[in-house]
Amino acid sequence: MNWLQNLPDYLVLGLTRGSMYALVALGYTLVYGVLQLINFAHSEVFMAGAFGSYLVVSQLAPGEHGFLGASMIVLAGLLTGAIVSALIAWTLELVAYKPLRQRGAPKLAFLISAIGMSFFLVQLFGKLFNRFSGNPFPENYLDKNAPVLELGGVTVTRIQVIIIVAALLTMILLDRIVNGTKLGRSIRAVAEDAPTAALMGINIDRTISRTFLIGGALAGVAGFLFGQAFGFGNTMGFDQGVKAFAAAVLGGIGNLRGAMMGGLLLGIVEAIVPPLPFIGIEWTDVVAFVVLVAILVFRPTGLLGEKLGRAA
Amino acid sequence: MRNVPWYQNPTVKRLFGCLALGLVLSLMIGKQQGSRDDYYVGIKKALFGPSILGPRIILFLLVGVGVFFLITYWSRIKPYLGRPGIKPMAIGALGVVMGYVLLKWTDNSRAAADGKLGTLSDAASSTEGLSPIAQTFFTMPVPWILFLVSLIATLIAVILRNRVLGYAAAAICVVAGLWGYLAHGYVQSFLGTPDHSLGSAFQLLAYLTIAGGALVAARSHLEVADTKNFIRRAFAWRPGLFLAAIGSLVGLESLLQATWFSPQGRNATLVDMSALFAGSGLAPVSQQFLRWGAFVLLGAAILVGLVATLGLARKKLGWVAFGVGVVGALLTLLTLYLATGYAASEGFEGATGHWQNLGAGGWLAAMAFVMLAGAGWIVATLDAPVQVEKAERDLMSSDTVGGSVRHIPGMKYALLIAVIAVALFYPPTMTEYWQNVLVSQIGIFVLLAIGLNVVVGWAGLLDLGFIAFYAVGSYTTAWLVGSLPAKPPFTVSPLWAIPVAVIFALIAGVMLGAPTLRLRGDYLAIVTLGFGEIVRIVAVNAESITNSTRGPSPAVPHPAISIGPLQWEWGLNYLQYWYLLLVIMVLVIIGFRRLEDSRLGRAWAAIREDEVAAQATGVNTFRAKLFAFAIGASTSGIAGVFFASQVGYFNPQNFTLEYSILVVAYVVFGGMGSLPGAMAGAAVLTWLPEFLKEQVPAEDRQMWIGAVILLMMIFRPAGLIPATRRETELEGIDEAPRIEPRAVPESESMGATS
Repeated sequence: MNWLQNLPDYLVLGLTRGSMYALVALGYTLVYGVLQLINFAHSEVFMAGAFGSYLVVSQLAPGEHGFLGASMIVLAGLLTGAIVSALIAWTLELVAYKPLRQRGAPKLAFLISAIGMSFFLVQLFGKLFNRFSGNPFPENYLDKNAPVLELGGVTVTRIQVIIIVAALLTMILLDRIVNGTKLGRSIRAVAEDAPTAALMGINIDRTISRTFLIGGALAGVAGFLFGQAFGFGNTMGFDQGVKAFAAAVLGGIGNLRGAMMGGLLLGIVEAIVPPLPFIGIEWTDVVAFVVLVAILVFRPTGLLGEKLGRAA
Repeated sequence: MRNVPWYQNPTVKRLFGCLALGLVLSLMIGKQQGSRDDYYVGIKKALFGPSILGPRIILFLLVGVGVFFLITYWSRIKPYLGRPGIKPMAIGALGVVMGYVLLKWTDNSRAAADGKLGTLSDAASSTEGLSPIAQTFFTMPVPWILFLVSLIATLIAVILRNRVLGYAAAAICVVAGLWGYLAHGYVQSFLGTPDHSLGSAFQLLAYLTIAGGALVAARSHLEVADTKNFIRRAFAWRPGLFLAAIGSLVGLESLLQATWFSPQGRNATLVDMSALFAGSGLAPVSQQFLRWGAFVLLGAAILVGLVATLGLARKKLGWVAFGVGVVGALLTLLTLYLATGYAASEGFEGATGHWQNLGAGGWLAAMAFVMLAGAGWIVATLDAPVQVEKAERDLMSSDTVGGSVRHIPGMKYALLIAVIAVALFYPPTMTEYWQNVLVSQIGIFVLLAIGLNVVVGWAGLLDLGFIAFYAVGSYTTAWLVGSLPAKPPFTVSPLWAIPVAVIFALIAGVMLGAPTLRLRGDYLAIVTLGFGEIVRIVAVNAESITNSTRGPSPAVPHPAISIGPLQWEWGLNYLQYWYLLLVIMVLVIIGFRRLEDSRLGRAWAAIREDEVAAQATGVNTFRAKLFAFAIGASTSGIAGVFFASQVGYFNPQNFTLEYSILVVAYVVFGGMGSLPGAMAGAAVLTWLPEFLKEQVPAEDRQMWIGAVILLMMIFRPAGLIPATRRETELEGIDEAPRIEPRAVPESESMGATS
């Protein structure tokens, strides 16, 4: 019953992984909400966030830091990650989506242009920086594996706390933006019915590009957290992107709460199920996709259904 | 509009956009720049690094500014572009620059390191004993002077619309192009090695294009005012002319310049070859063919073919051309077979057997014969007066749907015959490396794209796990020949694995499809993606069945046929696989063509356009979608069998998600729902990485491909060769742009709903 003993540990692990999935999944879902398109290049937005935050963090990190200093560095990493990713996402929309939208291209053309952009970004970053995977973030300022609290045998490390807290705060912030601001209202309106929203005086182009900005910022936060926890590289986006996309679909794509739930659920399932004695770690991805397929077969529009306008 | 802040001014925005473009371009050029220790080094070098004109960034920002002015003053420039002849001129000029700068002129790395024009001219100008024609051409500024002179002459002719100047400019262009081509020929015969470089042929074609522009300008005082119309008219009246023209060019090349026979560095043209075999024991018919038959037959074919196609519909002449072409092609092949066999059996130095040691010449001659025969056949069989009249009507009325090349009578068959001739006879002239690329990259992915086109293009189902069926096909083959740890009940040769693999892939397709097909678009995409990953991971993890990442061992044997007296085994020669693949592809294409317009094909189209409406009109949507999945999957399975038996060794790495995504990209890039489009898309995008390998650092290839895909989608979202059905829809009666309802651009949202 080794598995049962370790269950709390797995849960914490799943929660950390899941909150990163959720952050990226939110980006997919936001874009899907307003455009009804899968943003295939979103995984590269996530990757760009890790690179961007690295550039700043690696400058700040050397030397001794107290708790306050370290927190500031983490904050700076989160912010730069968010900013760089947001800019990349914005550019992405400008280059790969807007011209196609203006031409009334078939839906698949968007998918392919995003794939083209994705290839381009991966290799451009690889060319400019390097093509290794798992480049380390500086760790001296942050003893990331130091235990923070122990509850009945569960050890929660520092990085896990940072990830969960940061993800939670970001999601609350997103919730406020979407539900409490004028921009949020226009996003919801566009998601609900774009032509009508346009009639009501909402600038659709601007709303769409701001949606990309927000989704990008979320991915950037996730990018920094992921890089700090597991290292970064130009191809880091692909696996995470596919999983996060799966998470978004799981919760009901276009639905913000669904994406959060889907992300957490996927993370936890991935952490809990494979260690079961009769399954095995090497089947992790299979488990994730089998769960996804099973849920979709019984609930064809995901756990929480689709509407961004309604459920957000 | 008055209170717009400066940064929202469209001109300012555009300037920033262009500068950003310049910045990105400057980052894209050059070698790999980052390293593990210094992540910044790439950016630093690109932005501040020294180069010829100071930091590279300045150069590219200037490029950006240039683009900015081009866009800003586009409305002033545009009227000039409407002038007859300007487009071919521009395209041709671009082509010449490409041929001069980008493409290789020789494969011989001893003569010139990278084989491009610059280095070759360095080498050639210091070589003694080269023909003066070549010597002059390769003295460095000469090619560029030629280029400038022909370009300026054409430009003047185009601007003044002067007839005499136009003809003169065309003559200059032809001379310039031929000069370069001949100079290259002299260098090759001087070096005495067979050659596969494209540079000289490419620049010749480009010069001919410019010459075409000049001709159009010269004739623009006639009522034919723009290039496209001019070309269309020229061909509309003369079905088959296109084919006859290409055939003649190829034929002349094969007779006059190409190498026919090259054992051990001997670079024999047709004349040399006939001297080589004169008076030997070679079959007399082949000797005579080499001595005069080839010249006479090809000459006759060209003459009759051109006369038959130029003069309107001379049916009898058409049949003559057809007959001469067929006889010529057969004799050519027979001679190649006999001569190579004879050379090997008589112990010619370096001759190794039937079909070996051949240069491009014989194959080109066969290609030319087939093309001329095709031209004759088109003239003879096409009901020309009726067709031409119809074409003329289409051209006259301005509001017809048509307008592309494919509406020209006979053009469809002409293109088809040209493609078949090239597919049959061009591959033997390629280097082994390119033959490998042709088979294991281009060919297989074209087959996969054909299969996926059914699912994505016709039925409109986004399948991101298509490679899984390919994997099923490959592993089924490996299992059936006994190369996997799991042993089959009986072992067979790989070719006989095709039916079993098709059945397995079909079952996999139905297994995936049956529970998931009621999901809509994007959900289906993620489920298929998951399925693809599951198949791959199972292949990795189920070691007792699939031998995990090591892949099947021993290797899957090569396919073989043994039916009674007919014994044949495919070996290591890529060509043999190419012809096998060609047969498979032709069968699949014929099948799918018939499927497209069948009841099922129409059901797919209905589902693609509006599933609910299709259901309402009585289409069994579930069954139709399941069929699409199953048919696509089985095509993929066939490709898998072929792949497994050709490479022998493979492992789960060959079936990653990336390939699934790439195949979707091929199909959409080429033109969704269009069979030629999907094939062209796959061919172009699999050829491009191999081509780019020699032009940019190898690891940057995907970046450039990504950029190409992106640009294609931005400027031509319907793909390379859009499907006719879709094209007709788009060009149809209502001209209102088809806009996704959720993505209405602000400026159009008021008007588009009406």
